[in-house]
Amino acid sequence: MKKSLLAFAPAAAIGLAALAMPGTASAADGSSFQANLQPLNHAAASGSLMLQLNGSQATVTEDVSGLAASFGGKPYPHVQHIHIGGMGQCPTTAADANNDGVISTTEGGAAYGGIGATLSTSGDTSPAAGTTLTVAPSGASYHYSRTFTLDAKTLAAVQSGNAVIVVHGLDPATLSKTAQGEKSDLVPSLPLAATSPALCGTLVASQMSAMPGGAADTGGGSTAGLQHEGVIGAGTGLVALGAAAGALALRRRTATNR
Amino acid sequence: MKQQHRGRALAVLAAVLLLAGAALVVGALHYQQHPPQPPAAAAVPPAATAETRPTPGVKHTAAKPKGPVLPASQPTHLDIAAIDVHSDLLQLGLNPDHTVQVPPLGRDSKAGWYRYSPAPGQLGPSVLLGHVDSAQYGPGVFFRLGALRPGDQVSVTRADHRVAVFRVDRVVSYPKDHFPTLAVYGNTSNAALRLITCGGKFDFSTRNYESNIVAYASLVTSRPA
Repeated sequence: MKKSLLAFAPAAAIGLAALAMPGTASAADGSSFQANLQPLNHAAASGSLMLQLNGSQATVTEDVSGLAASFGGKPYPHVQHIHIGGMGQCPTTAADANNDGVISTTEGGAAYGGIGATLSTSGDTSPAAGTTLTVAPSGASYHYSRTFTLDAKTLAAVQSGNAVIVVHGLDPATLSKTAQGEKSDLVPSLPLAATSPALCGTLVASQMSAMPGGAADTGGGSTAGLQHEGVIGAGTGLVALGAAAGALALRRRTATNR
Repeated sequence: MKQQHRGRALAVLAAVLLLAGAALVVGALHYQQHPPQPPAAAAVPPAATAETRPTPGVKHTAAKPKGPVLPASQPTHLDIAAIDVHSDLLQLGLNPDHTVQVPPLGRDSKAGWYRYSPAPGQLGPSVLLGHVDSAQYGPGVFFRLGALRPGDQVSVTRADHRVAVFRVDRVVSYPKDHFPTLAVYGNTSNAALRLITCGGKFDFSTRNYESNIVAYASLVTSRPA
């Protein structure tokens, strides 16, 4: 192992001399956006989403937690979208026009607009897949990661700060009695809770031009665990020898003293 | 007579060996070096701090930055007197797997600036990285990052011959598998700094540290270099 590390040293020296490490060209070409997802409709959820744009290709990474966990005994599907064409904002409680305690997707529309793209787990990402439960991520918390192409309208909205991320699906138990009995404004065969927004955040330009994916590998471990094992080993050996010599000396003394 | 001399010589040898051995073991144990880890108290910013986050959901087209802001200029040198760090700065990019590049793991490890983050002094989170240690050579440039405390000063010299002076707000250790990407790399309302190294337990099977230590700092002033 020592040999391979020494071989690396000249390369490291060159790297240092250049004072710059070559990176992937795509990182500098693209632009980065982020959304801090805040709860709506008394959801106890939170999340964040990052969108890296390369031309019209979007790489989305998202982490959410605290959403409604199950629906009819199965993991709760949470349809999620990039909304565009509204005011580029999340709705406030004033948007609850019919005062049932729930801001439905329609009621929130003035603030965030209509569906520009669907953040599905596979297949179609157009608005047509907007309420397809089978391709929605599900459960109380999930990590979502996907790369897909944005259409022209959605791309323009993202670049101009008009795009809003909305994650849908509320726990019916948190709704008022009235709201629990209501049908969804989007899919009448589903209850209102299923399609109403739970998390919302405006997609804003990141101050980073490329967002790194998580943690940094900044350590090699030579100050972890027991160090100077060689010295400790040698020392222990000497102590053992000394103890043996001492025992021998004591035995001789007892022998001669008899 | 000879037997007596031999007996005494053996006793003296025994004593010498015991003393020498003990000295080596005690000495080796005394010179163990482990990177300091930040205590929980260091994760809480002091009451008055410039560190702020933009309000979510609200448009920020005309948001005024809080505190001083400098124009863009590449950073060249880092000084942190409190933990005796003085290092030229490399420029780091992104690995193909989208993790941040790190400086080479050599004996004379330097710190680096993640070049797709704002320059130190610009509005936003400027990211500086350094190794806590190498695989072979002992402590790295950011070995003592975990000993930073709120209020400590961090100075970054830039190519425009200005020194951006930051004050540490908080120092936190995060497990790498629960790294709060938006908290560390997300937008800020002020000119901010994130100093990152490894921490926590070292996994000897994967040869990776389990955590990252992040020191958050805010720009307080600048001066000519």
